[in-house]
Amino acid sequence: MSSEEPYNDTVRRHFANPAHAGDLQAGYPHAVAAEVSESEAGLRILLSAQSDGNIIYRLRYRVFGCPHLIAAAEELCSRLEGGPAEGLQDVPVAQLMELLEVPVEKTGRLLLLEDAANALHEACCRLLPGNHAGQEKGTKLARKQSKD
Amino acid sequence: MTPGKEIIYLDDAATTPVDPVVAEAMQRCLSGGGAFANPSSIHIAGRASRAQVERSRAQVAKLLNTAPGNLVFTSGATESNNLAIAGAARFRSHRGRHLVSMPTEHKAVTDCFAALEREGFEVTWLEPDQRGLLPIGDLEAAIRPDTQLVSIMHVNNETGVIQDIHQIGDACRRHGVLFHCDAAQSAGKLPIDLSALPVDLMSLTGHKFYGPQGIGALYLADRPECRIRPLFHGGGQERRLRPGTLPVHQVVGLGAAAAIAVERQPDDLAHAERLNARLWKGIRDVRGITRNGDPGHCFPGILNVSIDGIDGESLMLALEPLCVATGSACNSQSGEPSYVLRALKLTDRLAQSAIRFSFGRFTHESDIDAAIGVYTGAVDRLRSIMPKATA
Repeated sequence: MSSEEPYNDTVRRHFANPAHAGDLQAGYPHAVAAEVSESEAGLRILLSAQSDGNIIYRLRYRVFGCPHLIAAAEELCSRLEGGPAEGLQDVPVAQLMELLEVPVEKTGRLLLLEDAANALHEACCRLLPGNHAGQEKGTKLARKQSKD
Repeated sequence: MTPGKEIIYLDDAATTPVDPVVAEAMQRCLSGGGAFANPSSIHIAGRASRAQVERSRAQVAKLLNTAPGNLVFTSGATESNNLAIAGAARFRSHRGRHLVSMPTEHKAVTDCFAALEREGFEVTWLEPDQRGLLPIGDLEAAIRPDTQLVSIMHVNNETGVIQDIHQIGDACRRHGVLFHCDAAQSAGKLPIDLSALPVDLMSLTGHKFYGPQGIGALYLADRPECRIRPLFHGGGQERRLRPGTLPVHQVVGLGAAAAIAVERQPDDLAHAERLNARLWKGIRDVRGITRNGDPGHCFPGILNVSIDGIDGESLMLALEPLCVATGSACNSQSGEPSYVLRALKLTDRLAQSAIRFSFGRFTHESDIDAAIGVYTGAVDRLRSIMPKATA
C-alpha cells in the first residue's frame, strides 16, 4: 500500500462487498444486539447476533464510520459467525490492524469495535439456559457510549 | 484513483485540465528551436525567450485589463499570496502592524497571516455571514488607524461564494488601506477589470484556468502606496520582486491560457451555469442534502453539498471513480472538518460529509449525469450499512 493509497485491497474488498452488513433485531429468534458509540467523531457500531448463548449462528453489523472500521467489522463478523460466542471476548485488534493496514491514529476505532463485541458477548450469555431474559423480551440491545 | 477505472473528473477547483492549445504552445517552447534560453540573457536566443515572456505578460494583462508592467510572474497563487501579504505588511510595518482578513480564506493566506502574527503583527479575522459573505460594515468597523492591509479572496475555493471585491476595495481606499485579493478561483473564469476595480494586489495561478501548474502572477497596482518587500533575494528578475530564472515554457502556458480565457470566458461561464443547474437538479432530492454557500452569490463552477448522517471518508471511497473534493479538501492529512464550512456555522458532522463538485470547460453533461448516479448510489449504499437511527 503506497502512501498515496489509503486503503489496501482487503479494505477495498470488504467495503465493496459488506456481506455481513445488516441487523438481526427484527424477525429473528434468539437475537441479541449491542451498540457502542463515540461522540467526538460520531462513530457508531451496532452488532447483532442470532445465538443460543454458545454458538453464534448469524452475526451482523451496522457501522457509521470510516472504510477501515467498516472493513474491520466485516472481517470480524466473517471470522466469528458460526463459531463459539466466546470469540466475541477475544477480538484480535492487533491482527485486524495489521491485516487492514489501519493507521495508528485510528486504533481507537478498532477498540470501539472490541467494546461492541464484548458487549454483544454479555448479551449472548444472557441467552444461556437459566437466563431467559433475551428470549422472553425478544432482542436485547446493550448500549455503551465512549468518548474515545 | 483505482487503476483500471475510468475516472469522472469533477475537481476543477483543485486543478483544471490543461487546454490542448496550451499544452501545444508549451511543447513548442520546449522542443528544438523553441524558447529554451534564459530570458535574462542578452544574446539572440535569450532575447527570443524574453519576447515570449513579454508576449505572455501582455496576454495575462489583457485578461485582467491592466498594463503588462503591473504583473510579476510567480510559481502560483500560494507564492503570490505570500509575496503580496508578507511583502506589503513588512514594507509598511513602520506605519502600523494591523492586518485584516477572514478565516474562510485559503490556507495560503491564513497561514501567511499566522506567520505574520508570530512576527508581531496583529490580525483581525472577520467572520462571514451565513451566506459566506463579508459584512461590509464589519470591515469598516475593523479598520483602525494602524491598519495596513486587508486580504479577502474573490471566489471561495470550497463553496464558490463570490465576495463583492469592488465594495471591499472601495472601503479600503476610503481608509487608505491596501487591498489584496486572492483571485485564484476567479481569474480566467469571471470577468475581472483591474482598470476599474479598487484592488491593489491580486493573486492568480495558471492551473485553475486550463494552464499549467507551477506558474502564476501577482498584480501590483501602479500606485505609489502599492509597494512590497520581496521574499527572495537573488537576481534582479521581475522588478527585483521575484528573483530567479523564469520558466519560459510555464510562462508561455500561462499566457496561452489567458488568451484563450479572453475568448472563451462568457461561453465557459454559461456552460458552468448549465452544468451546475443539471447537477443540483439531479441530487437535490437526496434525503438530508444541504447546499453550502448562497447560490445567489456563488461561482457556478463550484457546487458544495453536505448530507446529514453520512461519514465523509466512507463517502469519498464509495464515490470512486468520481474525482471530487471532501469537506476536508485542504485538510485531508489532518482529517479535520473544513474550517471554511465550520466558519459558515455547519456542524462538524455536516462539514465532514461535504463534497465539492467543481467543473468547467471540459466537463460534459454526461459527466454530470454519471456523477449524479454515482453520488446517489453511494449515499444509498452507505445508508444501508449504517445504524438505522443514523441513516
